[in-house]
Amino acid sequence: MKNLVVTLLLALLVVLTAVSVRRAVAGTSPSAGSPTLVAIGTDPVPPLLPPPPPKPQPQKPSN
Amino acid sequence: MSTNLIGHVLQYAGILIEACLVIYLARNPRRGQLAGVSLYLSCLLGTGLGRRLALSTYGWTSPQYSYVYWTTDFLLVIAAFLLVCHFFRRACLSQEKLWRFVRLLLCFSFILVAGISGVSFVGHYGGLSLPYVIEFSQDLYFTCLVLNTLLYLMLQQIGSVDDQLGLLVCGVGIQFAGPSATMALYHLTTGQRFSASLTSYMLPMCTLGMLMVWAYAVIHVSDRVNKVTPRRNPVLAEVTAD
Repeated sequence: MKNLVVTLLLALLVVLTAVSVRRAVAGTSPSAGSPTLVAIGTDPVPPLLPPPPPKPQPQKPSN
Repeated sequence: MSTNLIGHVLQYAGILIEACLVIYLARNPRRGQLAGVSLYLSCLLGTGLGRRLALSTYGWTSPQYSYVYWTTDFLLVIAAFLLVCHFFRRACLSQEKLWRFVRLLLCFSFILVAGISGVSFVGHYGGLSLPYVIEFSQDLYFTCLVLNTLLYLMLQQIGSVDDQLGLLVCGVGIQFAGPSATMALYHLTTGQRFSASLTSYMLPMCTLGMLMVWAYAVIHVSDRVNKVTPRRNPVLAEVTAD
């Protein structure tokens, strides 16, 4: 039980460190305002797709 | 024009080295010990060819290439995580108690990454789609970076004499730490044009660096049996104690 808790805490530390490093080095690009992404492979990284437009709200029938 | 040329050269060089390494490992009589590396290289080669096909068919700015790229990147990051797990297993071959501890740590880490990415994604976007895949693969990428660093420290701590494993771990370190350091430089220089172009070249160059270190490790370093010094480190002994 003690081992389990220690392992869970260590895993939490590892993941939080990883997320913090990611936020620090690749959080938001200073020029474009979009997140910079890292990837594996020798292929050219494509530009990020723009987020999908919000769905139009159904208009209420006017009385 | 020259930018495109350099990009194509890097891409084809990567595919060529991956193909040569896969063929060499398939013909190697001790390929069983390097099965994880072979599988990862096969994944790299397969995704590289798929991306090359998508790039030549649809073009760099097309949404189809973007989907193919980020979906295959997700698969590659999963494969990289499994490879790091495989290296941990190889490092703990003669230490079953330590392996049980590490195995739990790896499982918890994977579950936590999936959970944290999910929470972060639902808070910002909602729904399950390509942005979640990108969010998850980015978080898992940096988790692999931290785990690989821990693995290297662990190899020093237990006094492993498996030189080949040490070089393979260093290669993975180049793959993960290089792009991260480049991103940090990009932010420090406030996104200037030089650092932006450097960033676009560093990602493929780090993968090429990993492949070359692996080629040296596989071809020139004799894969000795993982001998671990019998001296138990007090810190690890305490952690792995029942």
